[in-house]
Amino acid sequence: MAVNMESSLGPLRLRHPVINASGTFDVLAADRVLAADLFTDFPFAAYVPKTVTLKPREGNPPHRLYETAAGLLNSIGLANKGIEAFIADDLPRLGRLPVPLIASIAAEETNGYGRCAGLLDGRDEVAALELNISCPNVELDGKALGCDPFLTASATAQARAATGKFLIVKLTPNVTDILVLARAAVEAGADCLSVINTVHGMALDPWTLRPALGHVTGGLSGPAIKPVALRAVYLISRELDVPVIGMGGVTSANDVLEFLAAGATAVAVGTACFRDPLLAVSLVQELEHQMELRDIATPGELVGRAH
Amino acid sequence: METVPAQADLYQCPVVESRTVGAYHLIAFVAGEIAAVARPGQFVMIRQSGPALDPLLPRPMGIHAVEADLVKVLVEPVGKGTVVLTDARVGDRYSVLGPLGNGFDLSGEGTAVIVGGGVGMAPLALLAGTLAGRGRDVRCQLGFKTRVQAVAAELFRDVDVDICTEDGTMGRKAMVSELLVECLTDLGPAAAEAELFVCGPGAMMRAAVETAREYGADAQVSVAAHMACGVGACQGCVVRAGGEYRCACNQGPVFRAGELEWR
Repeated sequence: MAVNMESSLGPLRLRHPVINASGTFDVLAADRVLAADLFTDFPFAAYVPKTVTLKPREGNPPHRLYETAAGLLNSIGLANKGIEAFIADDLPRLGRLPVPLIASIAAEETNGYGRCAGLLDGRDEVAALELNISCPNVELDGKALGCDPFLTASATAQARAATGKFLIVKLTPNVTDILVLARAAVEAGADCLSVINTVHGMALDPWTLRPALGHVTGGLSGPAIKPVALRAVYLISRELDVPVIGMGGVTSANDVLEFLAAGATAVAVGTACFRDPLLAVSLVQELEHQMELRDIATPGELVGRAH
Repeated sequence: METVPAQADLYQCPVVESRTVGAYHLIAFVAGEIAAVARPGQFVMIRQSGPALDPLLPRPMGIHAVEADLVKVLVEPVGKGTVVLTDARVGDRYSVLGPLGNGFDLSGEGTAVIVGGGVGMAPLALLAGTLAGRGRDVRCQLGFKTRVQAVAAELFRDVDVDICTEDGTMGRKAMVSELLVECLTDLGPAAAEAELFVCGPGAMMRAAVETAREYGADAQVSVAAHMACGVGACQGCVVRAGGEYRCACNQGPVFRAGELEWR
């Protein structure tokens, strides 16, 4: 049986359902290092660059990374060049990619989401916006505003008012009930939800017994969090009518199938890009093969099968 | 440092040699494409091939030697990831991404003073051989804690090496910075034209750089950092340089001593 890998995410037409998670694949940096021609053979069906904020952020002190059991703890601290430099330096080059561009934005105050969204609204290179609401928030003493339903709704509403583009809100799992946050985002105008961001955690250096990360605590990603992510995708997609981008510990074609069956419309690969920056190429081939074996004609046919 | 062309790729490489060298473990694998273009000071990200998810990520290893189509690395088993790497048997495959990083700038002409500490000596061996092959005057000093590490100095084949250990069990009983002072003093006025190439523990590198400054010599330093991607995507492996955070993977691992800020 012929498999048609094409997928839709709102108005975005995707060659297949696999995209990258923000902050795990830098096409401009990779293009300077890797022999592969990424601007011709881009491995993902859409590209999500690293999150940008209104002002440049230096990021957290090292160590920023620590590997844990089947997982990676990070505290990068949203290091980025700021949205103005992103628009001036990166956007023209990213516009040459053969796939839709999903810009990821964050702000330290809720009204910053509106300002960032407004700055990108007129840019044709940008197909959609993803709000990273796990940024440390000044109104919450540095806690992520994504932990608070009212601030989540406020940030989403301000971005919604500033742009007609497809609006994705990326939820943090570090809450008591992620459905409350999902509803708050959708009621405030989100078109789509990314589920999930990293899980709060920490690690100690086994020799010094001091915190392994410079920032003490960080976000856990990788296969260790896949069950957490799968549950969140399942609960949210069963309850709400917006498409969900599933992410958290995806390393294989089988993981993609599981996230689709749990209710995701598209699936993002994150930390696994660090094992192999071009993993998506073989993963998508294997996905097509698996769908053929299982008589699945399109990814859409599988979405929510586990419900 | 020099601009490096975009030529890294991921290879599945058969292991052809895997043996302990004192406290370290030498691994050679077939990677002709990497061997053909690798420069001293560059590194590879390696892990054992296969679907196992723990350890999850590859580890950065400085390229220790290149022989025909072989690439060699020297692993110090200190954590879970590096201990697993030393389990390699001949015939196993490594997943290898590389070559990565800028490598040392080889354009200088003064005496090359190579200063290594512990397993930091590994990438300096390729450097020493390359510089000596170009006819440059090369002086090598390697420092170790004790004999079980210092025996790895035998891997320096192309140049004479001065060895010291903290406990005097092999070579001189001294810190490598003492050997460095003697070397620079011995060079006399030529010390100001000398160039240091340094790789090792932070405190050792800092002492070497300060000594170089006292003698007016330049220094290039290869730093180590916790890395995830190796290609500038994750922003995890930063060091403080030039008043900002820079990634050791694609803006290093080699930095001019003058731009590094020590903490």
